[in-house]
Amino acid sequence: MQFLLICLLFITTTSFADDSTKQATDIITEMEKLYRGNASRSTLTMTIQTPNFERHLTMTGESMGQDYGFFRILSPKKDRGIATLKREKEMWNYFPKINKVIKVPPSMMTGSWMGSDFTNDDLLRESELVEAYDLELEETDTQYVIMLTPREDTVTVWGKIEYVVDKKEMLPLSQTFYNERGVKIRVMKFGEITQFEGVRLPSSITVTPLNKQGHSTAIVYDNLDFDPDNISEQTFTLRNLKSRF
Amino acid sequence: MMLFKLAFRNILRQRRRSLLTGLTIVGGFVLCTFTFSLIEGAWGNAVDFYTLDSIGHIQVHWADYERKPKVHKTINDRRLVEQTFSANDDVQAFAPRVYSPALAYAGTKTIPVTVIGVDPDLEAKVSRLKEKTKIGQYYNNAHMRTAMIGAGIAKSLAIDVGDEIALISQGADGSIANDLYPVTAIVGNKSSTDSRVVYLSLTTAQEFLSLGESVHEYVLLVRAPNDNEVVAKALETALHLKIPEITVSPWQVIDETFYRTMQSDKRANRFILGILIFIIFIGVLNTVLMSVLERTREFGVIRAIGSRPSTIVQLIFIETMMLTTLCLLVSIILLVPILAWLVNVGFSLPEPVDLGGMTFSQIRGGVTPLALLAPVAYIYSFTVLVTILPAIRAASVTPKTAMGSH
Repeated sequence: MQFLLICLLFITTTSFADDSTKQATDIITEMEKLYRGNASRSTLTMTIQTPNFERHLTMTGESMGQDYGFFRILSPKKDRGIATLKREKEMWNYFPKINKVIKVPPSMMTGSWMGSDFTNDDLLRESELVEAYDLELEETDTQYVIMLTPREDTVTVWGKIEYVVDKKEMLPLSQTFYNERGVKIRVMKFGEITQFEGVRLPSSITVTPLNKQGHSTAIVYDNLDFDPDNISEQTFTLRNLKSRF
Repeated sequence: MMLFKLAFRNILRQRRRSLLTGLTIVGGFVLCTFTFSLIEGAWGNAVDFYTLDSIGHIQVHWADYERKPKVHKTINDRRLVEQTFSANDDVQAFAPRVYSPALAYAGTKTIPVTVIGVDPDLEAKVSRLKEKTKIGQYYNNAHMRTAMIGAGIAKSLAIDVGDEIALISQGADGSIANDLYPVTAIVGNKSSTDSRVVYLSLTTAQEFLSLGESVHEYVLLVRAPNDNEVVAKALETALHLKIPEITVSPWQVIDETFYRTMQSDKRANRFILGILIFIIFIGVLNTVLMSVLERTREFGVIRAIGSRPSTIVQLIFIETMMLTTLCLLVSIILLVPILAWLVNVGFSLPEPVDLGGMTFSQIRGGVTPLALLAPVAYIYSFTVLVTILPAIRAASVTPKTAMGSH
């Protein structure tokens, strides 16, 4: 009888844990699909603020599924045409002035993307959160708080990520990134909920590194089309990356 | 006066011995001064080579740029800074520069480089960049959108004059600086300090790095290189009245390691020369002791007629000092032509030595206050030292013991 009770307790606990993890996985997957759909095309404005300068970039972004992404700078004129291609686990930058494609090596993953507070890793790894991290869900009355802890075989610079989701809207509120010693390194906040093709989304994402005073980068979605017609795998090729426009 | 006469008579009493002692002192002094001059000259040449190669006598930066360089730490009010330089008569020339680390590409090859933007005309007055331009042509105007590259880059990227080099860096406004430049010259050789440097004209580099009119550094040459620290201090005082964040550093601060190495080497050499002079003066000590011993009876008589021991000490000191002074006068007469030859002609190297694109074929001496005064100080110090013992001995002779000596 005692043995049966222990078995029942174990099965119930495991079952609750499985349910909680599954729910956390579903929430993260849903959050990540928000901006992407099956495929998407967007126009963005990125504002980089530092104590020494403020810089505005407009760019187009295209994505398909989890594995493909393409960004091209439209302005300022000096940077026009600089592009980034992401294909599965690889990433390249293209500089039209020197007609050069440069592959981003793994050692540069923590490097700044286009001089912003976003890292190359943000672009490449974001889609892998569910596969690369163990998830732990906590709930409050209004929020889901999901703690992402890297799995043993995951190569990452983060010790953990705290992902906060608004329960009512089912939209992301913030992501807080910690280093291996548990110190907060940066915060990503989502705001200004806007309707894009009938879908309500935070139109601004602001990254603030906590170890660099006065630095922040804000991305504002000016336009976001889901599942546009002319996006295919051919959009995400090195040939397209090098094409003049 | 009587003591001086007595001392002079005593020196001449044993002429052969005085001559031999004098020759030892003359030899030691000439050798010591010659070596000092050679060391000062060698280090002087090294400092000249080093400062004129790139770092100058004085550098001026914004705040802590020299220690923690960042592309945005720039000197913006150039007119004010340059007016201050021009107003100082000790400043011979100055030149602005901008710096940035970059990646250089040619074909499929990539290497890290340093981009330096220089004003072609002003740079030629403060460094040897123009002389080091071995292949191709030095900039003939300040706005050329071309690159002069270090020989190391040319070799690593397998490019030559006429080819193109692509550069990627970070602009001061956070942008990704990237551009393509035709190579018009190759600077120095593979061992040059700027072997991995890409030189752009100042305006081209400012445009590349989105710096506007701003610069990262001023390099200055002063008319009297040995006074560079004094001039740096004066400039800093003048500049701080207008721009407190400006930092003025003499080359001794810019490359403290080199300066300390030089100072350590000089100290070590001074110590070795001190030991050499000491050994020479052991011989002099022997001579003075002998002289005192031979005159024991004489000192006894002097004491017996009422002289005090201090008078005898004075007599011995005056004797050795007089001998030393005479020797120094003779040495100086000998040293004038020797040093003139060492400073102006020097030793020819069997094979000319190429140091970073500059060829050296001579090793010359240097005449500095240290090279001239340090040996004099050494000689007089050791003269005093070796006279103490014989003087005490002579002063302690009593008439009774003196009469009993042979």
